Amino acid sequence: MIPSVAPAPLQRKNALARFSAHRLFASPAGLAGVIWLAAIVAASLTAPWWLPFKTEDQDFTAVLSGPTAAHWLGTDELGRDLLSRIFAAAAGTLGTSLITVIVGVGLGTVLAMLAAAAGERAEAVISRVTEIMMSLPGTVIILAVIGAVGTNIPLIMAILGVLISAGIYRVMLGQAKSLQSQLYVDAAKVDGVSTLGISLRHVLPGLTNTIVVQSALIFAVGMLIQAGLAFIGFGPPIPQPSWGGMIQGASQHVYDAPWLMVPTGAVLALTVLAANAIGNALGKAPNASASHLPSAAARRQRVKAVSALAVAATAADSDAAPANGHLSVRGLSVGVDGGPRLVTDVSFDVEQGTVLGLVGESGCGKTMTALSLLGLLPSGVAAAGGQILWNGKNLAAATDREMEAIRGREIALISQEPMRALDPMFTVGYQLTSAIRRLRKTGKADARKEALSLLEKVGIVDAERILKTYPHQISGGMAQRVAIALALSGRPRLLVADEPTTALDVTVQAEILSLLRSLVKDTGMSVVMVTHDLGVVADICDNVAVMYAGQVVESGRTANILDSPRHPYTLALLAADPHANSAADMPDRLATISGQVPQPKDWPAGCRFAARCQFAGSACATPVPLLASGSEDGLVRCVKADELAVEGLEWLATEVPTHRVLKIVEKDLA
Amino acid sequence: MALFITKRLLMALATVLVVAVLAFLLVHAMPGSPGAVSLGAGASQEAIDEVNRRLGWSDPLLVQFFGWLGGAVQGDLGVSLIDGRSVSADLASRLPVTASLAAGATVLSAVLGVLLGVTAAVRGGLADRIVGGICGLAVALPAFWIGIIFVYLFAVQSSVFPATGYVPFEVSPQDWAMSLALPVITLAVGGAAFIARQTRASMLEALQQEHIRTLRATATPTWKILYIHALRYASLPIVAGIALQFIGLFGGSVIAEQLFAMPGLGQAVQNSVSTHDAPSVQGVVVIATVVVVAVNLVLELATKFLDPKLRAS
Ligand code: SF4
Repeated sequence: MIPSVAPAPLQRKNALARFSAHRLFASPAGLAGVIWLAAIVAASLTAPWWLPFKTEDQDFTAVLSGPTAAHWLGTDELGRDLLSRIFAAAAGTLGTSLITVIVGVGLGTVLAMLAAAAGERAEAVISRVTEIMMSLPGTVIILAVIGAVGTNIPLIMAILGVLISAGIYRVMLGQAKSLQSQLYVDAAKVDGVSTLGISLRHVLPGLTNTIVVQSALIFAVGMLIQAGLAFIGFGPPIPQPSWGGMIQGASQHVYDAPWLMVPTGAVLALTVLAANAIGNALGKAPNASASHLPSAAARRQRVKAVSALAVAATAADSDAAPANGHLSVRGLSVGVDGGPRLVTDVSFDVEQGTVLGLVGESGCGKTMTALSLLGLLPSGVAAAGGQILWNGKNLAAATDREMEAIRGREIALISQEPMRALDPMFTVGYQLTSAIRRLRKTGKADARKEALSLLEKVGIVDAERILKTYPHQISGGMAQRVAIALALSGRPRLLVADEPTTALDVTVQAEILSLLRSLVKDTGMSVVMVTHDLGVVADICDNVAVMYAGQVVESGRTANILDSPRHPYTLALLAADPHANSAADMPDRLATISGQVPQPKDWPAGCRFAARCQFAGSACATPVPLLASGSEDGLVRCVKADELAVEGLEWLATEVPTHRVLKIVEKDLA
Repeated sequence: MALFITKRLLMALATVLVVAVLAFLLVHAMPGSPGAVSLGAGASQEAIDEVNRRLGWSDPLLVQFFGWLGGAVQGDLGVSLIDGRSVSADLASRLPVTASLAAGATVLSAVLGVLLGVTAAVRGGLADRIVGGICGLAVALPAFWIGIIFVYLFAVQSSVFPATGYVPFEVSPQDWAMSLALPVITLAVGGAAFIARQTRASMLEALQQEHIRTLRATATPTWKILYIHALRYASLPIVAGIALQFIGLFGGSVIAEQLFAMPGLGQAVQNSVSTHDAPSVQGVVVIATVVVVAVNLVLELATKFLDPKLRAS
């Protein structure tokens, strides 16, 4: 993990900004919560001036009445006005709940900062103690405390806060530790700021939002517990009203005056709801990562979107004749639902038994393109146009059900991190045999035999033992072999491999590549290999499509592209890749490509590589088509491709001076 | 694993001991000496002193504590100051009531919570929002309020269930179940909401794991991905949530027992605290802690057993 570096003064200035009030007010529930709480507090503080009755006023003409003009919320068994009593009790309830919040959240935060600052030993002790506190029957202990100190509500609420602080500590610890370990804190330490100073100045501000969230939630808990205590008779002394006590009184009349339950219960519930709503609005994770299985609601939407795509696709002529094991992607675009396109107008072909490399830096849309072939895009992302013709059938417009018949059986997937690709909860044997039974419709015994032979086929010697292991018990290379065996279990005709060697050791990388090569030879399946490594391309791919910012910028036969690249981006990749340069023509210096792949929202209308291209000129500001490059069936997307080929220009091993790039872009935009 | 279990057992023992000390100190801080409590108002000072002397009230605290601990280990928690009955015997007769209540509520809230949470996570959209709304409401409404409403609906309006009271299992299993129904449901409402939220979050997290994509890539049917693989992955935090829930429900039973007039531990705490019956308070605090800690230990071992990584080590 890269620690985020933030200058300290900026951090302090942002302390209040971290409170993220805008998030609170952006959520309707959170806003309603704030309004309700503010109203309750204002009403209870001003209660003596506006309350229609004194809390003890008894109106014997209206005992146990429902809402009337005189008593808006009705009266209790002594004819006392409910509205007056509810608001007279509010200030005490809210105030004492606040004690729990201050003690609980305060103590929990201090403990968390202490544990984060004082090192592992102190953390272990504090964590043990809080663990014990959390496993206590809190209610029973609170009652025992009441036995000792009487119904001293503020003191009891404070002790409740102590018990709750253990849970707060749990929530805060991780965050406090990560704040403490950030680089700027180290820098502050070197500057001679004391531990206390670091905690107060750097860790505490970072915890602000969590503190507010927890305070709101604990406030709600405090109110509920306090009402519960009052309900069982440990509330403020009679005749002082309390919400719990009033509900207790109402419960005696549930037979003859059920209405009595409603006003107090509703005010209590609404206040708790308000506090929870505030906490939830502030505590919502800003952006959770996407699910790999769309929800039922998302799937229904997909079916609709797919039928629209299918209509569009039939309108376009699908000329490719159905051929066995032939993949032809035509004008594919992939986009976020209701958002930007991530991949635009991508076309390529994969003949049976060949390997196509999709190459580019990360963020160029390679993986999205690859996953769309299986209909396994993360939820919220979908094919938005074009065709994926597999044996003549358009997979871009297939429903999930149709894709299910193709996944595993015709097109299979292996992914970057084999450890994460296998289910950690099940043995290798279970995962493999259940896939085989499903995809080959065999019985249990046959599936086991098949699993063993598959594992041997992918080069695992002690297959029997591996079948019994869990994924965490085997090495990364072994796990990738298992993942490949799993992908082969349905005898697919096309294997989509998403950076299959990136996460592995160099020696293991070579083994996995040679395994894939021999599998292609033996089974005649084709492979779409996503990689950023031109060494892998040179090693295994027959054809290459170089992708940049969601487009194919150059494609053709591997030999042609590696030997005589036409697109400046390909030139740059080659110049920057140590593996692609053989020892003889290894340059003194490796080139770099300055800048980053632009985000989809920043894609220019012209050449998307222009901002980083050493050869960019004014002609590059207009949209650039993909044209024949002149070498066999190669294609290239660059206005200067021919010019560059003629002049034999190379990507320079020096960085492009930024001012030059900027000037060009500015000029182009002007 | 054996080391882990030993460690946890020691930790549980330490917890109970800490609570025993705490309870002992609290009881000693209670107003009124045992003699005064036991003889009630109007007793002569000599008589009070006599009782206090018999109970060893003026002995050094350590002597008193170890005396009590020695008895407690042998199952003798002293006698009640109010009615002179054995605290152990009293609590022994009360434990089954609270245990059935807490266990019933835990099971019901676990079943309901997991169902609702899975539904919300899996169906998404409207179903998710409805479950979210219900859960938000359920955690905001106090259990005692919900309980009274249930009494009103099911005991007053239609007498499906008895409003109050407890029938021991030995007397009539059927009546036992009926007498437990309303209190259990009352306690389970909030518990189910809590577990539903936990389940929903854990399921969503499970579905974000990369191995789900592998399962889809090998044409695993959706139901199997959801209910075998994702639920299995989510089971660890869910069981941990249920363990936490049990502690809360055990405490919540104080309210349910008061509301439904059930002779359980909760009622005993409430009574003995109100009457300053020191030995009873001390006894019930320790017994409640033992039960909660023991159940937690079992559930914690269960979560460890569910995790292949920890099971293997
Ligand atoms: S079109 Fe222009 S900017 Fe784009 S790669 Fe070619 S030369 Fe560079």
